[in-house]
Amino acid sequence: MPDTTGIHAEGGVQLLQGLAIFALAAFLMAFVVLVFGKLFRPRNPNPDKGAAYECGEAPVGPGWVQFNLRFYVVALIFLVFDVEIALFYPWAVVFGGGGAPNAGWEALHAMRAAALWDMLFFFGVIVVGFLYLWRFGYLDWVRSLGARTDEPAPTTAPIRTETVAPPLAEIIAES
Amino acid sequence: MGWLHNRFEENLAITSVDWVLNWARSSSIWPMTFGLACCAIEMMAAGASRFDLDRFGAGAFRATPRQSDLMVVAGTVTFKMASRIRRLYNQMPDPKYVLAMGACTIGGGPYFKYGYHVVKGVDLIVPVDVYIPGCPPRPEALIEGLMRLQDKMKRETIAKKAE
Repeated sequence: MPDTTGIHAEGGVQLLQGLAIFALAAFLMAFVVLVFGKLFRPRNPNPDKGAAYECGEAPVGPGWVQFNLRFYVVALIFLVFDVEIALFYPWAVVFGGGGAPNAGWEALHAMRAAALWDMLFFFGVIVVGFLYLWRFGYLDWVRSLGARTDEPAPTTAPIRTETVAPPLAEIIAES
Repeated sequence: MGWLHNRFEENLAITSVDWVLNWARSSSIWPMTFGLACCAIEMMAAGASRFDLDRFGAGAFRATPRQSDLMVVAGTVTFKMASRIRRLYNQMPDPKYVLAMGACTIGGGPYFKYGYHVVKGVDLIVPVDVYIPGCPPRPEALIEGLMRLQDKMKRETIAKKAE
């Protein structure tokens, strides 16, 4: 019975064998299911089936529309505020020793130190994201009202009235 | 139809495949949530704990045609709704089945003579597999209709049809 716990040559080969078997089984499982489905399932495509589902109404345009890019920032904000808290909770529960109730003081101390530094690193990464959002004003949904001016947008080129036909020039002059 | 459909005569392999396919399909009929009128209340009762449609594998009511096999047309079909029903039926993946529940969907019911707005039978719009009479049918009747539909599904075959 070879020792599979240590990472030496024999154990490494066994590990590779296990991985190969695992990968093959995973591939076969998906492949067989897809091929058998292809053989048996009916295939009757029609335009309605390809259309977007809008509760039976005729769809208004395709489903592939461009989304506002600002929702990407919303996803980032969600990551910073929500996912962070969700990961903090189990960490905080285990930190007090709930994960290993029978551990000795020495082991508990080492565990706590490791957990604290890990979480501080993670928090630091998140804080960088938070500072980015803060600095560039992504926390304000209505963007840059202070920078807005009521002056009209500059035109690219002035209208050259002398080359415009006379009736048009009059209209332009009046307006 | 599928690649294997109508390709082989009936033999041991094909009938075994048929049995597995039909068993799988008939024991996991996912109906579409399609309550149009009062029959829908009975359909809800059939899905709830007392009558428990889930015993027949048909309790997972889907809110989209993409995931459903069965359309239980429960209630009065108006002309305005008819085109929507047709579109939703077309959006369901094959194989798909329709259960006409109640007098209105069978032939107009109480609206047959004077209902200027009612389609006189949902089978004018979509092919119906099982008709369940009643106004409205009791949940037991809906379960009976579902079992008859299961019988129908179990008779399906992918073998070559006899000429």
